[in-house]
Amino acid sequence: MTDSAPEPLLALSNVNTFYGQAQVHFDLSITVGRGHIVCLLGGNASGKSTTMKIILGLVRPRSGDVTFDGASLLGLTTPQIVRRGIASVPEARRLFADMSVRENILMGAFVRNDRDVVAQDLDRMLTLFPKLGQRLSQRAGSLSGGEQQMVAMARALMSRPRMIVMDEPTMGLSPLYVDRVLELIRTINQEGVSVFMVEQNASLALEIAHEAYVLQTGTIVLSGPAQALKDDPRVRDAYLGGSEAA
Amino acid sequence: MSSWLDYTINGLIVGNVYALVAVGLALIFGVSRLINFAQGSIYLVGAYIGWVAVVQLHTPLPLTIIVVAVAAALVGLIIERFGLRPLQNSVRIAPLLATIGISFVLDQLVMLTFSPNPRALPSQLPDVRFQVGGGTIGPLDLLIAGVGITSALLLFVFLRYSKLGWAIRATAQDRDAAMQMGVDVNRVNQAVFGIAAALGGVSGMLVGMYYNQIDTAMSLQATLKGVVAEVVGGAGNVPGAVVGSLLLGLVESYGVAVFGTSYRNLFAFLLLVVVLVLRPNGLFASARQAPPEPLTGTFIAPSRPVRIPRWALLVAAGVFAILPFFPVSFYVLQTLINAWLLGMLALSLTLVAGTIGQVSLGHAALLAIGAYTSALLSLNFSVPVGLAIIGGGLMSAALGTALISPSFRLRGHYVSIATLAIGEIVSLVILNWESVTRGPIGISGIPPLSLFGYDLISATSIYWFSFSAMVVLALLQGRLLGSHLGRSFRAIRDDDIAARAYGLSLNRYKSLAFIFGGFAAGVSGGIAAHLYSYINHETFNTQQSILALTVVILGGLGNVVGAILGSVALVGLPEVFRIAAEYRILIYGIVLLLLVRFRPQGLLGTI
Ligand SMILES: Nc1ncnc2c1ncn2[C@@H]1O[C@H](COP(=O)(O)OP(=O)(O)OP(=O)(O)O)[C@@H](O)[C@H]1O
Ligand SMILES: [Mg+2]
Repeated sequence: MTDSAPEPLLALSNVNTFYGQAQVHFDLSITVGRGHIVCLLGGNASGKSTTMKIILGLVRPRSGDVTFDGASLLGLTTPQIVRRGIASVPEARRLFADMSVRENILMGAFVRNDRDVVAQDLDRMLTLFPKLGQRLSQRAGSLSGGEQQMVAMARALMSRPRMIVMDEPTMGLSPLYVDRVLELIRTINQEGVSVFMVEQNASLALEIAHEAYVLQTGTIVLSGPAQALKDDPRVRDAYLGGSEAA
Repeated sequence: MSSWLDYTINGLIVGNVYALVAVGLALIFGVSRLINFAQGSIYLVGAYIGWVAVVQLHTPLPLTIIVVAVAAALVGLIIERFGLRPLQNSVRIAPLLATIGISFVLDQLVMLTFSPNPRALPSQLPDVRFQVGGGTIGPLDLLIAGVGITSALLLFVFLRYSKLGWAIRATAQDRDAAMQMGVDVNRVNQAVFGIAAALGGVSGMLVGMYYNQIDTAMSLQATLKGVVAEVVGGAGNVPGAVVGSLLLGLVESYGVAVFGTSYRNLFAFLLLVVVLVLRPNGLFASARQAPPEPLTGTFIAPSRPVRIPRWALLVAAGVFAILPFFPVSFYVLQTLINAWLLGMLALSLTLVAGTIGQVSLGHAALLAIGAYTSALLSLNFSVPVGLAIIGGGLMSAALGTALISPSFRLRGHYVSIATLAIGEIVSLVILNWESVTRGPIGISGIPPLSLFGYDLISATSIYWFSFSAMVVLALLQGRLLGSHLGRSFRAIRDDDIAARAYGLSLNRYKSLAFIFGGFAAGVSGGIAAHLYSYINHETFNTQQSILALTVVILGGLGNVVGAILGSVALVGLPEVFRIAAEYRILIYGIVLLLLVRFRPQGLLGTI
């Protein structure tokens, strides 16, 4: 798998994470190649969201390193990490519920200072997510789950990130929206943005991912090209079995 | 005879002043889920900076306003940077306690710098009044209205159209998500503290001019009024805070019109309690929403309590018991008597705040209820003093629990607000219920302590009396904590949702804790009444509530031995070091701040 993989954009190496006494990650190592979609699969409480938080600097690992574009992210604050070019679509969307859809999307461009180009990018988002056009002045909290997911993705793209990390982007969506979201992730990726996504829905995620990792109670138990994992019977076991092993 | 229009104008003007305080509180609460109990102190600082500017520097009015706003904003920034930011990863109770400590320190610094005597703060505006309909309005009214409306507009534009304003709104709605957009939440905190302080400072100056008087008592009043207005409007809701303030101003003004001036605050606090109980999210939130308090994370600092061997406790108790046989001075005994009285209050508070997690800021009210009951029983009904004191304890237990029970469904900071308000209500009822309490005159000629017909007049006998009362209460409380009941209390403190899921009835356990705690505090108040022989509505005040809280945190929340050790330390050490009385409150505030920062589990550890 290394022959075609470019130098990694993001790398977690030997990360150990604790909440108080409880260890959540055991020597976790993950790399995301430039221009790739990498998927982290795992059952409930396996430590997926914590991996996202480690990348974003919301949680600090006790040991190990996280590098982005060759430089360590450890010791940086979340806003500093965002300014390096990592945007996020958090678990359960986390929109600013009382702000309008327009304000939410523009909040994504908070780190940018080029007002005119931001305005153009907002128009671009409306072509990418046409449904949001009529909703711009509506309260974000009043949108449906699928629409909120669109807003969260548009918001993440507004910072013109080099990489987007997404936590369960298809969770709680109707099948129609699930397909739409996966399609959009592929589109975003084709425009040059690397994607690291956390998913429970393995079969769907593996459709669009280049590589995948399977996390079970804080340990990577399987990894490799998505194509290979898709046909691996252990994938199914791993991501279904992760929950009771907690 | 003023007209209704006059009362309305007065209500709206005062409401404008409250709004300047409440909007700041709402901004801060929105961003950091913190009730800033130091807001009133900034208001006080603003008033005194205004006084320096006007009276000593003779600045013209517009410049005065700018000077006050800038200086107060600086104070706010300093509070945020050095008082609160270091506590970011601390337990939830820490920032609340820190703002209380900061407010003590600021108030005392102002008092030490300018003396507690009131000063006049002239407004420099012509003293004319214009006829409007059936009422009148003066230039100062217009100035206050103008400042209020201008600030509201500026704030609206700022929040709506500036980048920092967006960051503030986003942080208020979802702090983590805002960080993931690249918002530096420390900058946001700084900004809201600066803005809140500027508005609060200007408000204090305007009030000083309105009444042409400033004094250090303004601080607590302003915090209370601001909190009332903010909670009425919905905590964290900025437009709500403005409406809540105007409403509060009107309610007070009409209340004064009908019942008289001494009822002003009573209406404010009754409004607060009614809103807290019926609509804890304020008048404008949908009723379903739970109060915006974080539900996870530990409330008090977890620790492994220091285990003191039983023999050491026995030896210590024995030494204190036989102390009067040694040639100790009257002064030492008197100091220790004060420590034992405070110790009983601390036992009560450590149970309520520490063991079951209801941080009461109005605990002195329990002292007052016990003191008045015991004094009146012995004076009016010739009940023997020993029995009267027990009657005081029972009354405190019953009445205190009844008063707080409507607030049992509140959590965290809301409990503190409710208890603070109830404490004020008790003191105001004592002030106004003249037929029973003799109102502002107070009760004098309270019979001295006595037991089985023998008067306890010597310091030695009073010492033994208060010491044994405290030891008995401490032993009872120790038994209680070791029992199943004590474990249930702690379960409720640590996770009330889970506790409820296990089938614990929160109301019942909270009642039991307040009954026990109310009794201990009531006994302490009862003894105090007979010791002082004179009490009035100010004898037991918020300062004592906060002192008790400091004692309890010093000892370790929930820790019985800690409560007593804390009392001896806080009463005794200032005596040992001969610290002048006016510096003591300052020291208590600093102790509280240092504890919260460096040893939140206290000396002996939380239990
Ligand atoms: N802030 C926290 N404090 C303590 N423990 C936590 C915290 N956040 C998560 N945990 C624990 O860490 C473990 C991993 O949590 P994490 O949220 O990373 O799992 P996840 O794989 O994202 O689960 P899910 O599929 O439910 O989203 C869980 O056992 C969880 O209870
Ligand atoms: Mg998760």
